[in-house]
Amino acid sequence: MTRYDRTRRRIAPFAAAAVAATGLFAATGALAYDGTNCRAPGNCWEPKPGFPAQVAGSKFDPKHNPAEVAKQSLSITAMEERNQKRVAYFQKTGQFVYDVSKIPSN
Amino acid sequence: MTRLFSSVSLCAVTLALAAGSAALSVPANANDKLVEIAKSDENWPMTGKNYDANNFSPQKQINKQNVKDLKAAWSFSTGVLSGHEGTPLVVNNVMYIHSPFPNTTFAVGLDDPGRILWQHKPKQNPTARSVACCDVVNRGLAYWPGDGKTPPLILKTQLDGHIVALKADSGEEFWKLENSDIKVGSTLTIAPYVVKDTVLVGSSGAELGVRGYVTAYDVKTGAQKWRAYATGPDDQVKLADDFNKANPHYGQKGLGTQTWEGDAWKIGGGTNWGWYAFDPGTNMVYYGSGNPAPWNETMRPGDNKWTMTIWGRDIDTGEAKFGYQKTPHDEWDYAGVNVMMLSEQVDKTGKMRKLLTHPDRNGIVYSLDRTDGTLVSADKIDDTVNWVKQVDLKTGLPRRDPEFGTRMDHVGRDICPSAMGYHNQGHDSYDPERKSFFMGINHICMDWEPFMLPYRAGQFFVGATLNMYPGPKGDRQNYVGLGQVKAYDAINNKFKWEVMERFAAWGGTLATAGGVMFYGTLDGFIKARDSDTGQLLWKFKLPSGVIGHPMTYTHKGVQYVAIYYGVGGWPGVGLVFDLNDPTAGLGAVGAFKQLQHYTQQGGGVMVFSLDGKGPYEDPNVGEFASGG
Repeated sequence: MTRYDRTRRRIAPFAAAAVAATGLFAATGALAYDGTNCRAPGNCWEPKPGFPAQVAGSKFDPKHNPAEVAKQSLSITAMEERNQKRVAYFQKTGQFVYDVSKIPSN
Repeated sequence: MTRLFSSVSLCAVTLALAAGSAALSVPANANDKLVEIAKSDENWPMTGKNYDANNFSPQKQINKQNVKDLKAAWSFSTGVLSGHEGTPLVVNNVMYIHSPFPNTTFAVGLDDPGRILWQHKPKQNPTARSVACCDVVNRGLAYWPGDGKTPPLILKTQLDGHIVALKADSGEEFWKLENSDIKVGSTLTIAPYVVKDTVLVGSSGAELGVRGYVTAYDVKTGAQKWRAYATGPDDQVKLADDFNKANPHYGQKGLGTQTWEGDAWKIGGGTNWGWYAFDPGTNMVYYGSGNPAPWNETMRPGDNKWTMTIWGRDIDTGEAKFGYQKTPHDEWDYAGVNVMMLSEQVDKTGKMRKLLTHPDRNGIVYSLDRTDGTLVSADKIDDTVNWVKQVDLKTGLPRRDPEFGTRMDHVGRDICPSAMGYHNQGHDSYDPERKSFFMGINHICMDWEPFMLPYRAGQFFVGATLNMYPGPKGDRQNYVGLGQVKAYDAINNKFKWEVMERFAAWGGTLATAGGVMFYGTLDGFIKARDSDTGQLLWKFKLPSGVIGHPMTYTHKGVQYVAIYYGVGGWPGVGLVFDLNDPTAGLGAVGAFKQLQHYTQQGGGVMVFSLDGKGPYEDPNVGEFASGG
């Protein structure tokens, strides 16, 4: 990026319009994000000039599907439950059975 | 879900194996036994040789004067293409060899390595291949020495997300558990890591939005002891009450959610697929969490803690005693999973320090006091690093150069390092006699253009198009000069020597007391250099390029050097998948477009010794004998 590009970015019509439209743009005085202006220890991110402090509601909102976002934790819970059954039977009998449908219930 | 199936040759167990199992079942806890095993020149029981992960051998049989006489002693083909990362293990006269997907494991006896003692060839859901980020690599195995009741075990990971314990003497499956779900894009490429009676395993898949975690399992039963995430609430990240007590400016509580917008931490990456180290003195295990997801930084405001973090966790409880985030709000995919090498050195003030040294993908080599995470040094791996001006040792903060930041609606140009980092997954080495870290380094820069995309579980979630090319010291006209090898002094913040490579020294290095350091290159050479000067002393052209690290062991009085060949991994995806678009392979295809003129695929181990001494010096070894 050139300095000309950066200057152009600051005055981009998009930025001005977005500020007016959403009010979501941060009002920081940072000329450019260098990562050293911390609001709290370990919390030093700032929006870049012309970019929103939060993406929700902005043109950069990825609009993730909550059901998709939840899939990982659901999958991990299910794996942990199956592993617990495998390990419990292994500890009880000394025999390891991977297929949980073949593990006797008692 | 994959079906349990293994191909095991039980009949080929040798007397050496049986004797080995007996010898290793002496009293003492497993941890002490592993420490003792690692001290022997005859063994290489973990990927980094020992808990210091220094890839250093005190052997001197091969030295500066005679290394020129190294010749091939024997070799072994895994029968698998794709990238061969990591290094074989040697324990008690047996070499344990791993492969990329389908993750076959072999045991061969060192007296007659032409005979396979056993092999474990799992059947896996081939879908795993399609969600692997960057080729279908695997970084290695772990060994647990047994306790008299439970037999010695080999621990392995499978690309399909399973962690498996095998009986070391037969290859028979002991237990097999689900750690990662390929349906949500989570795979396993990491080498498991054994500490005491615990085996650690990380996760892969940040390029598919996988939220990273490290899990501790009981080696003997497979029971999950603890699991710690890289992002999210403090109890899930497992922060100790006194987390970062010595360095509160790193940040302490609540940041695993506060530094993300909404639920973005649930799909925020931070997987760990690199290397571990352990200090019995601090009882902490050390590792790095990787990049936040997606790569497009505009989509995830915040520092994105605790991705990109060097962790010190109590091995027994999993609680983090410290965490230092090297690249807050990553904008370049500088996934910080790189090797952690432990050393004890006198610092500039004369104080003996227990150090953790970590050459990071972001182009900075960090040394921390590993007792509490205090930053001791942070030096640019090469003076061409430009995303950061310097790291403030008091605050730990990198002072970024906005000129080389990335953002939507903008093409960032000539950013150094590239997303591959100036240091990637290579397992490097430390020579405690010379106080030198030997680092295999990439010299690659990039252009970066982000784009928006929604998250879909199990699909790629990157959001950036990359072009990569040699760094300023390379030959940009001809796309060579993509790597370096350097000897680094962490106390005096200087490089003792450095050399350029045509391609990257991607796999890492080996240090030896003989004054010779070894490494492999992507174009298929194993090289030996003078540890003090960097002078090239010897090289050998391997059947295929190297992305693993060399190791050494002694057998029957002969010192051997072994290394995997098998080009692939991220830098070799163009060869593996026959790609031509320079932006394919997340930009790797363009960077390494010349590689096809120097090497092609293959996979195996080559073993060297002085004058080629070895098991087949007597040509009758391994010959047909009735009943044999």
